[in-house]
Amino acid sequence: MSDGKYFSTTKKGEIHELKEELRSLDRIRKKESVKKVIAAMTVGKDVSMLFPDVVNCMQTEDLELKKLVYLYLINYAKTQPDLAIMAVNTFVKDSQDPNPLIRALAVRTMGCIRVDKITEYLCDPLGRCLKDDDPYVRKTAAVCVAKLYDINPELVEDRGFLEMLRDMLADANPMVVANALACLQELQELSGRDMLHLTSQTLYKLLPSLNECTEWGQVFILDALAAYPCQTTKEAENIAERVMPRLQHVNSAVVLSAIKVQYVALRNINLIIQKRPSILANEVKVFFCKYNDPIYVKLEKLEIMIKLASEKNIDQVLLEFKEYAQEVDVDFVRKAVRAIGRCAVILERAAEKCINVLLELIQTKVNYVVQEAIIVIKDIFRRYPNQYESIIATLCENLESLDEPEAKASMIWIIGEYAERIDNADELLESFLETFPEETSIVQLQLLTATVKLFLKRPNELAQRVISLVLSCATTETDNPDLRDRAYIYWRLLSTDPEAAKDVVLCEKPVITDDSSNLDPLLLHKLLGQISTLASVYHKLCGYTFEEDSQPQGPGLEHSPSGHAISPSDGGVSAAAPTASTTAAASPAMMGDLLDMSDGIPPAGTAPPGKQAGDVDDLLGGLDIASGAPAAPASAPPPLPILMQDPSRGVTIGGQLERHAGGLAYHISIVNSGAVPLSGFMIQTNKNSFGIAPANQVLDLGVVPPGGSSHTHCPLTYDAAKLVPGPANAELQVAIKTDQVGVLFIKDVVRLEGLLEESGAIDGASFLAAWKALPAEKQQRLTGLLVQDLEWAKAKLHTANLFVLAHRPVPSTPQQALYLTGRVAGPGGAQIMLELRLVPGQPGIDASFKSEKADLAQMAFAAVQAVLSVQEICDVGVTV
Amino acid sequence: MGLWLSRMLSWFGDQEARILVLGLDNAGKTTILYRLQVGEIVATIPTIGFNVETVSYKNIKFQVWDLGGQTSIRPYWRCYYPNTQAIIYVVDSTDHERIGTSREEFHAILDEDELKDSLILVYANKQDLPGALSDAQIAEGLGLYSIKNRTWAIFKTSAVKGEGLTEGLDWLSNALKTKR
Repeated sequence: MSDGKYFSTTKKGEIHELKEELRSLDRIRKKESVKKVIAAMTVGKDVSMLFPDVVNCMQTEDLELKKLVYLYLINYAKTQPDLAIMAVNTFVKDSQDPNPLIRALAVRTMGCIRVDKITEYLCDPLGRCLKDDDPYVRKTAAVCVAKLYDINPELVEDRGFLEMLRDMLADANPMVVANALACLQELQELSGRDMLHLTSQTLYKLLPSLNECTEWGQVFILDALAAYPCQTTKEAENIAERVMPRLQHVNSAVVLSAIKVQYVALRNINLIIQKRPSILANEVKVFFCKYNDPIYVKLEKLEIMIKLASEKNIDQVLLEFKEYAQEVDVDFVRKAVRAIGRCAVILERAAEKCINVLLELIQTKVNYVVQEAIIVIKDIFRRYPNQYESIIATLCENLESLDEPEAKASMIWIIGEYAERIDNADELLESFLETFPEETSIVQLQLLTATVKLFLKRPNELAQRVISLVLSCATTETDNPDLRDRAYIYWRLLSTDPEAAKDVVLCEKPVITDDSSNLDPLLLHKLLGQISTLASVYHKLCGYTFEEDSQPQGPGLEHSPSGHAISPSDGGVSAAAPTASTTAAASPAMMGDLLDMSDGIPPAGTAPPGKQAGDVDDLLGGLDIASGAPAAPASAPPPLPILMQDPSRGVTIGGQLERHAGGLAYHISIVNSGAVPLSGFMIQTNKNSFGIAPANQVLDLGVVPPGGSSHTHCPLTYDAAKLVPGPANAELQVAIKTDQVGVLFIKDVVRLEGLLEESGAIDGASFLAAWKALPAEKQQRLTGLLVQDLEWAKAKLHTANLFVLAHRPVPSTPQQALYLTGRVAGPGGAQIMLELRLVPGQPGIDASFKSEKADLAQMAFAAVQAVLSVQEICDVGVTV
Repeated sequence: MGLWLSRMLSWFGDQEARILVLGLDNAGKTTILYRLQVGEIVATIPTIGFNVETVSYKNIKFQVWDLGGQTSIRPYWRCYYPNTQAIIYVVDSTDHERIGTSREEFHAILDEDELKDSLILVYANKQDLPGALSDAQIAEGLGLYSIKNRTWAIFKTSAVKGEGLTEGLDWLSNALKTKR
């Protein structure tokens, strides 16, 4: 005998015993042994070597035994991928079992077995189960499709399972509908593509299931509805009608969401009044806080009230703030006191009233109120120097109660600033000195400056002692470089030229204004365009809020998912309409105003009912995300269209041609989802119609760590050697090389916006001459573009280096004509001329194009479309 | 009590036997199994894995394991060898080209240590089709005549028509009883 005998199964162990029992012909013994195996598996013993024997028990009438074997399979199929094939036939048989429970069990287990070798064999039974008579089986099969997609997406698509899932949306059974929908939504998330293909037909089938579903099913359906871009008012109305009852559901999630919707509305209102404060000037009462508002709603209301405060309503507002300042919630009280201060800073004539209110509050002697009041009074002093010094005495009475750094620093600033009017300023400052080393840096800095001021204003003996103490302390006993440097500077100044020190320390300070909560005007403008979307809630542009959802799409890409994540701005502000009925926080009349404004419709008494669909959309989208997903950090690189995504190599590259620093650049971003850092980036372009070539082949992207990203502007030049003569072709092939993953090939399209030169304007006469000299123009109607404000359009075009030379009404039509020109740089470029005819406020632009290179027409039209498609709310609202 | 009773019954009742049905793919193994079990022709697809059914015949309870015959599955046949009383080896009599392959697989089975005591029953299947080799030709092709020390028999069968299957089982049940 060979030595192989030593390895044969002569030893009698537990496993061996189990093996014997599993092979037993006796059903009861067999089942007992499978139970033992499962028990061993559960406690973590490796029983994978029993795989064939357990699988052999799979074909049985005994449901319990079958379930046990299935459990075993799910656990060990991965470790025995080859042997797993022996289970396939049983799955096939079980998926045809007369018992629907077994059919469902089989299809569910199949989905859990993630073994490539057998997935293909499981498609037939899966397909059968998707069409099963039993809803439970169909539902289970639907879920299984999602699992299969995770293992092998191609298979799912080849087998037409996606279509089958979509068909299931029309299933008679709501459970099936909800699961199919959930599955499609998950696939959508996995693949990043639109899987639902919701049409009005499927929509009508979804809506009735809404009433019959479980709550979780409802969530899926509502999600889908929220993402559905309504085509017609009727459709929107229909959705709204169906969804409304959900809002009255006795479900904590819904109640919670109602509050969130209120918050959303407030954030949006905040935006609007930054732009047009006059709209709501008389409605400030609406925003008075209720005691049971959640804190974030209260704070938002405060913001709005500050913005709405005017000389007319300041008394009312101040009274309200004073009320808030006496509430129990410390945070809110602080904010209220600050609000009073900000009102004073904004409204000069109300400042005195504000001061009086603040003094009253100081009298309450509530510690944090006093401290907060002192901080805001400091601001008021900065804003209105030399007007309200009379109150200093009152402030000084409260010196002892200050224990917060900011309040202390403020008080010290006041003492220093008005040292000459406070008789015992030196003593007061000295009293702070005892604890100088322990103070926070902000207090230390303030104390340092104040003592210098004191010394310069009243150079007496005490002041001198104080200042030498402070300076020596600040220069020798501190680790804070800021403090030390400032102390040295003062020291030098004082010791060399006290007059210069006076000029520096006691100089006129610029008057402060309150802009702490105001947004950059450009951002505000854009946000107003996105009002009612999440972007306006976060007060960040949608690109920053949801990076992956809002990639601007190049002309060659067919579908943008952004339309789903963030609903169209149309009808947006009325998001508050359903809320108003449930929370009674906002007056319906005001909502009407807002609605009109956002829609650009002349004033109407009530909101058109159809518009509510948009709300419901937003509201649901809003809820959904507000409850879960955090906003992407604002520091993320700007979203660029994704050009290439290679999950196997873990690289995603985005980019587009842009103007950068007065030249053409390729703005390129890279996301590393792989496991190794990426570095050594190089770029090269293929020959193209414009002769575009990188100025430098090395891409300044640094080292991108796993999970990290980087972006850069790669300057481009024009190289005649790269030029492909002939008609202009927008295609641009780019290769990017990295040291780690090799060369990545990218197909991009040239955006004409990037090629237009800053110096591309020509004068009107040459334009006219050229226009007449050139043969018949190319024309195209740019649908979907809506320009409200011609000046805005001109400005936008100008920033894109499309220069408007003339603007005149078209005779005997309501149309306005804009004549613009630009120069496409490079050897493949030319001067281009455009005529745009449009009616402000009505969609559609008739564009005509002339150029020596007539084949640039399509690209020029695309550029105009891109430049003008960022539609924003313009001046229409003011006419209300 | 229940356990004891069922043991008793099995003593008095049917004799049990574990049978493997083997052979190349498309030989007709699954059709034969269900023909034996339910007496009907069922539509079959290639068996990726196995089927197991109990067939009672002449007081013997045959536990019949029908294993898939595809090349990818053949290596796993060995998992089923232990405690096997008999092999039913099915040959597609019309598959002239692969009779050699069938012979190799057949002899590999015969050489298996775990199967050294099992009876060999060969079904020369698909006799209803034109061009089918005779049982003698199949026996020759498989090299049956060179087998020593094994109990074997070959039957002409047509699973579709149901011919020859019971004859084979008759032989098998007799052989099993004699063996015992």
